[in-house]
Amino acid sequence: MSAIHPSELAFITKHAPFDRMELPHVLWMLERMNIGYYAEGEVIVTPEQGAVDRFLVIKQGVVNGEQSVAKASDTDTWLELMEGECFPLGALLANRPVASVYRAGSDIFCYELPADDFRQLIGLSAAFRDFCTRRIANLLEHSKQVIQAQYSQSSVEQQSLASPLSTIIRRAPVTCSPDTTVRQALEVMRDQRIGSMVAADEEGRPLGIMTLHDVLDRIAIPQIDLDQPVVEIMSMQLSYLPPQAMAHEAALMMAKHGFRHVLVVENEKLVGLVSEKDLFALQRVGLRQIGSAIRHADTPQVLLQCATDIRKMAHNMMAQGVAPEQLTQFISAFNDLLTARVVELECKASGLTGTPLHDGLCWMALGSEGRFEQTLNTDQDNALIFVVPAGMTADQVREKLLPVARRINETLDLCGFPLCKGEIMASNPKWCLSLEEWKRTFNGWIGGGSPESLLNASIFFDFRSLYGAEHLAEDLRGWLARVAADNSRFLHMMAGNALRNRPPLGVVRDFVLGKGNTLDLKMNGITPFVDAARIFALAASVTQTNTIQRLRLSAAKMRLPESEIDAWIDALLFIQVLRLRHHDEVSEQGASDNALDNLIDPEKLNELDRRILKEAFRQARKLQSRLALEYQL
Amino acid sequence: MNMLQRWFMPKPRLTAVQAERLAAWLALPEVGMKGRFERSRCVVVDVETTGLNLMTDTLISIGAVAVVDGKIALGDSFYVVMQQRESSRKENILVHGITGTAQREGVEPVEALLAFLEYVGNSPLVAFHVTFDETMIRRAVRQYLGHALKHPWLDLAYVMPALYPPLAFSHRVLDSWIGLFKIRIETRHHALADALATAQLLQVAQAKARQKKDITDLSGLRDLEREQRWVNGVS
Repeated sequence: MSAIHPSELAFITKHAPFDRMELPHVLWMLERMNIGYYAEGEVIVTPEQGAVDRFLVIKQGVVNGEQSVAKASDTDTWLELMEGECFPLGALLANRPVASVYRAGSDIFCYELPADDFRQLIGLSAAFRDFCTRRIANLLEHSKQVIQAQYSQSSVEQQSLASPLSTIIRRAPVTCSPDTTVRQALEVMRDQRIGSMVAADEEGRPLGIMTLHDVLDRIAIPQIDLDQPVVEIMSMQLSYLPPQAMAHEAALMMAKHGFRHVLVVENEKLVGLVSEKDLFALQRVGLRQIGSAIRHADTPQVLLQCATDIRKMAHNMMAQGVAPEQLTQFISAFNDLLTARVVELECKASGLTGTPLHDGLCWMALGSEGRFEQTLNTDQDNALIFVVPAGMTADQVREKLLPVARRINETLDLCGFPLCKGEIMASNPKWCLSLEEWKRTFNGWIGGGSPESLLNASIFFDFRSLYGAEHLAEDLRGWLARVAADNSRFLHMMAGNALRNRPPLGVVRDFVLGKGNTLDLKMNGITPFVDAARIFALAASVTQTNTIQRLRLSAAKMRLPESEIDAWIDALLFIQVLRLRHHDEVSEQGASDNALDNLIDPEKLNELDRRILKEAFRQARKLQSRLALEYQL
Repeated sequence: MNMLQRWFMPKPRLTAVQAERLAAWLALPEVGMKGRFERSRCVVVDVETTGLNLMTDTLISIGAVAVVDGKIALGDSFYVVMQQRESSRKENILVHGITGTAQREGVEPVEALLAFLEYVGNSPLVAFHVTFDETMIRRAVRQYLGHALKHPWLDLAYVMPALYPPLAFSHRVLDSWIGLFKIRIETRHHALADALATAQLLQVAQAKARQKKDITDLSGLRDLEREQRWVNGVS
């Protein structure tokens, strides 16, 4: 007549991971659990107790994890745990003492499972094991399902850009052999009512493509012989993707390069063809259309329209649940196109095009644009590198370029990229420099270390070329990678600076909230990752500017475990999701993109998101601890 | 059945096996209250009845959880619904939520009570307002097992005010104390849920008594209870 009251079961199964575990396993666990009471301020687990003897789930109250001063460790950082949360997982799994002191923040009751039973449960329940070993990844998975469930109610049928190409391919590809004549190929296209024909070899490997569009340019106008092999007039410039690639990747490829078709290829064999039209069905605003409109725009008015379309598209994609990484890539790709077109137009309008000065200039994106991490509200951060032609001085070149840069900045402003308040723009004489001047400036920052130098470094060191003489930016990047990696004093100071921005401790209580009880997702959430990634990249001579790539590449060089890096990246992406979702919601309510902020009220998040956000901040702290460890701060 | 009938009822008949089980329970070592909190077991009990009259109402269910070495052992808990000859009045069903069918389908009382005693073993019992729970259980044990139960009880209704004197007047019922410590209880008036909440209250009392009065065992708490009874008696 032993009994577990239903309310205990109801409570525990409200929380992850118990909500996904099989009922018999939950009951097995509950039967072996005790409830412990700890008065406010009482220590629950400490490093001094040796290997952890029990797994705890908070039934009621708040538990604080405190970094023990004597043994600062990189694995456990400060945290605040609330009802339904489990601890101390890391120490239990590793069968070691905890690194932090866990103390009752209020009078608390905890469910406690002896360590032996904990280990048995890990063997018993896959869901539980998964949760313990891949905590943040699991919570994220959970949240993704919730988000998708929210969006899917708008239209169940609608496929999204997040679906794999294999689900979009409508029919088996129609192919011909390379020696088919042009006439035969055209006849098949007419009979089958298809817009393109792919020539493939005997193994089904694609060789070339001919589309209806080509008929005019390649067949009708040059009046070619219709009996010659089709392969001779085909386009050999093929774009491939595997069937498991996502629709948005195909869309991005089409938009970037102006293709109308993407071949779907598996093991070198053609398995399908995705056309622009197929993707239009998924997307109300045509991606390639925007791309092509930007490429052909010749007035700021048209570009402004394109900028509006980009925003519309971004909102659309957000609604379809496209992952944040892809979304920011999309936004960056289109903003790149747009900016490049603005630069091109203004160079032409000011008579610069065709002169040696034009051939020797490189327009650079800085900051978030430089990192491919733009969201909807981004102001301008740009700069110019130029070559000094023989017989001229740098000042003379600058004098010529500054007015053009000013026009470019103003046109970008018209297109919805507000002027930078800090004057970090190419029209500022300080940031319109020759390659030599840039190296001298960077050198000054690296050798100096004043707060201003460090701040500048954090903005400018994320530069990448956007228009013009790319090799200048590459040269500067290569030089920087060499110089910065050798300057440990500078990196040390950068690290010290980055550590001054600490992610909030908890999410609901006891942490610094900004104006009106809000949390700044960018400042508190994204920046710690971005800063740490930059320092790692500089130290490891990684030339990428994107935070995720920087983390992956430099962490690999530093021999950090992959799981740790994955956790950081997942955390960063989750904060980015929250940020984008916040932007989406605010603009749904009619706010203009310029009015978008990064401030959220943590109280308004659902419990799951709040927990993940907390976990994400914890990861940010772990990353910072790693940074502190590297630089002995 | 009136009181007199009940009083003069014939001695209940137990099967040989049942009589043996009762004898085995009676043969257990004497109940001790001197075990330190972190090295002893006690059982926290709550009962639901057909009404509040100690003489005429009867037991419907018993819920109990064990506090072992200072922790509530969820696996070491007990709940039984006793078979009733007739189900209780409607207004009463609304309180405890055990329907007439559930009451009639419960466990046969002799079996239910033997199981309870075996579960308790020789651990001391704890409740909030012991008089009620103790009387109900003692009467049932006498009626069905023919045994006069003499088991030591601790009453938190006296221990808590002794530990928190300023609250003695404002906190008289279980609800005020569990409210004070924000002990969540989803279904009040379910014997097992109430027992669990009471057990959590006992944990608070143990911690407080240790910290404030250096009391480390149940007998120390029982001394507090006695003092408080005396205080209540004179004030």
